[in-house]
Amino acid sequence: MAKVSLMFFKKDCMGCHACEIACKQEHGLGVGPRLVRVIENSPDYTPIYCHHCKKAPCLESCPVDAISKDPRGIVLIDDELCIGCKECIEACPFGAMQFDDDSEIAVKCDMCVERLNNNERPACSQACATRCIFWGDTKALSERVISSK
Amino acid sequence: MVDVEKIRTACRGCHGGCGVIAHVQNGKVTKVEGDPESPISYGSLCSKGLAITQLAYHPDRILHPMKKGDNGWERITWDEALDTIAVKFQSVVDEFGPEHIVVGQGTGRDYESHLYRFANQLGTPNVLTAGHMCYVSRVASTLVTLGNLPICDYRGGPKCVVMWGCNPQWTNPDEYKGVDFWKVHKKGAKLICIDPRKGFVAKKADLWLQLRPGTDAALAMGFHNVILEEELYDKAFVENYINGWDDFKERVKDYPLDKVEEITWVDKDLIRKAARMYAQTKPACIHWGVPTEQTNNCTDCTRILTGLMAATGNLDAPGGNVLYVNPPTRTVAEFSCHKDLSKEVREKRLGGDRYKLGARVAFITPKVAWESILTGKPYQLKAGLLCGTNPVTTRANAREAYAALEKLEFLVVIDHFMTPTAELADIFLPAGTWLEQNHVADNWKRHGFVLARQKCVEIGEAWQDHKIFQELGKKLGQKWWDTVEDALDYLLEPAGLTWEEFKQKGYLQGEMVYHKYKERGFSTPTGKVELYSTVLEKWGFDPLPKYTELPESPVSRPDLSEKYPYILNAGLRTPTFFHSANRMQPWLREIRPDPIVEIHPDTAKKHGIEEGDWVFIESPRGRCKERAKLNKWIDPRVIVAEHGWWYPEMKGPGYGWDISNINILTDNSHESMDPAIGATNLRACLCNISPA
Repeated sequence: MAKVSLMFFKKDCMGCHACEIACKQEHGLGVGPRLVRVIENSPDYTPIYCHHCKKAPCLESCPVDAISKDPRGIVLIDDELCIGCKECIEACPFGAMQFDDDSEIAVKCDMCVERLNNNERPACSQACATRCIFWGDTKALSERVISSK
Repeated sequence: MVDVEKIRTACRGCHGGCGVIAHVQNGKVTKVEGDPESPISYGSLCSKGLAITQLAYHPDRILHPMKKGDNGWERITWDEALDTIAVKFQSVVDEFGPEHIVVGQGTGRDYESHLYRFANQLGTPNVLTAGHMCYVSRVASTLVTLGNLPICDYRGGPKCVVMWGCNPQWTNPDEYKGVDFWKVHKKGAKLICIDPRKGFVAKKADLWLQLRPGTDAALAMGFHNVILEEELYDKAFVENYINGWDDFKERVKDYPLDKVEEITWVDKDLIRKAARMYAQTKPACIHWGVPTEQTNNCTDCTRILTGLMAATGNLDAPGGNVLYVNPPTRTVAEFSCHKDLSKEVREKRLGGDRYKLGARVAFITPKVAWESILTGKPYQLKAGLLCGTNPVTTRANAREAYAALEKLEFLVVIDHFMTPTAELADIFLPAGTWLEQNHVADNWKRHGFVLARQKCVEIGEAWQDHKIFQELGKKLGQKWWDTVEDALDYLLEPAGLTWEEFKQKGYLQGEMVYHKYKERGFSTPTGKVELYSTVLEKWGFDPLPKYTELPESPVSRPDLSEKYPYILNAGLRTPTFFHSANRMQPWLREIRPDPIVEIHPDTAKKHGIEEGDWVFIESPRGRCKERAKLNKWIDPRVIVAEHGWWYPEMKGPGYGWDISNINILTDNSHESMDPAIGATNLRACLCNISPA
């Protein structure tokens, strides 16, 4: 199965935060966990998001094996198995792992796996007005990002 | 699982127009997403649009009419509310005359056609809108100059874009939502950014001109100077289609680049470079934002920028600034029955004899309304109806606005929530959000589209604004329709469509024709672009545009420089909020919990202010506090602050309206306003800062 990735082309992020709200809406999250987050330091904007790392530190740190990788390389967390120990939050180098105070478990980007299964783009990517959020086949994506302006 | 109905509609989180697909389940909107088939937004949607469910279903939303009694607010029926208002309004009309009632709106929820129809049939010329300093003022100034508002023609493929005081990807998207701009930028169009602050557009620009806030008109004159000196203008166009070109040329000579540099703080070589790039790259367009309007130079700045479009031959040319052809629906002017207002009544318009350009486009500037209420001069306003507006936070000299509305004898407010303004009302009417509207949306715009905004749900007893004006109007014996949709049929009639048919189509686009002036000239008294305005001359104004120094600046008021050493730029916007709205939506507030004041690190250091500190910002009118964010990309002499702040979570009374309200600092004296249109200076005044 082809590997899929999510990538924000930082130079074109204009700091509008639409991706954040699209993500919250898609995942039914309230105030607190931010699976994608844009840090403003005008005129530069830095999106913080899950890179679905090949060797995922969150996955490796999880004491109960609640975090796994699906055949496409998407790093997923099993709500039923998570014990809310926050090891993964400490392990993630990007600050992408989040904690949901309501459910008291870790939450993370699932690349909108249900949408992908329906041939829809991830919610963050669809909302983005500068089209700086890329997703899809990892190899093609790398080439596209290298060639973009 | 319950079936999801997907309804295609159009957002109105800001000035609106982005395509939305709303998911409706069990009579409730559960989710919205961008509509990939939208000709405006192409599937993208901003944070405000995406967060609509948190507005529509907010626990604090008021979903029934209320009246203020001895024990505070109490719930009443629509019938009682409308009867109460109708009786009061009729008594004012009978006893004093309809002009003693003021009808007002903010930036609106796309109901200007209905609000004006109500006001005109009521017989009052006193319509108080944001138009005196936002968009309509550009429309008015261009109406007298060339007959219509020239808009950046991204669809025509400009090779150079001048982004003049505008960030359409974040805010103020009157015609465009920024996506079309972005497309031409990605295709390689040159980009010039005029902005006192380095934002995303400035970062991407080939040239960034960091001007002193409010000096746009002088900078534009600098552009003209280069274009004349180097003969970069379109000779055929200026000879055939400009009225007063020679006189204008003389006026431009008053603005040598040395002087322009001194006024604007922009390096003269950079001005020259930018003027050349704009004049020599064809086609080129200017995308202008409200900062060009929100000063005493409003009319003239618009006219000078229009002059640039004309002189370079970019007017109504593909990829330049064009006069779009709208679809053949009824215009707002016709629907509104503007012609029903007699000359005699129009002459009673407050401030109409002074602000003649404002009167020409049928609005009053807030100053004259506040004066009328507070001083009874020239006559006393007795009642008011304000729809979707929060003037105590968004209008200049907010304390005066507050005092006036507090004093007004009878006030009706139409809104979603209890706001600092609504709190001052006697009757509260609950308005529907854009999810609760059927409307031919964008019909007031000049971008060539109308869009079907379809009602997705009804919530509580809220009515869409259009219905409120219609039903209240009927109580007063006005001519309206049985239903909102019947009125839409009337709006759509010239297009040969009914509302039901239009809904299926989703949108209509006008058939664009370029260079229309070659056939029929421009719609002005001379048939030309009137850089020398015969209309303004007739009204007693300078027929040629110029830069007038800001009434409160280091140049005009050196006496204030010790106490107020900085220039306040009150123009900072955030993409998560639209003016004073949205602060109660948790998703949006999480992103921007506090009002931001940007300070240069050197300036902050002088005052012992660090990132994140609360800071008092003070002007001769008063002070407020916001939270410091250090920004090395602003001028150390300039303080940049957000507007529109109040604190819904503080509940009444006051909702913290005067804590972080930057308009407590801004001025609305007649001397500080544009002399022709009454635009208030919401952008630049003098200030000082101190740790709070």
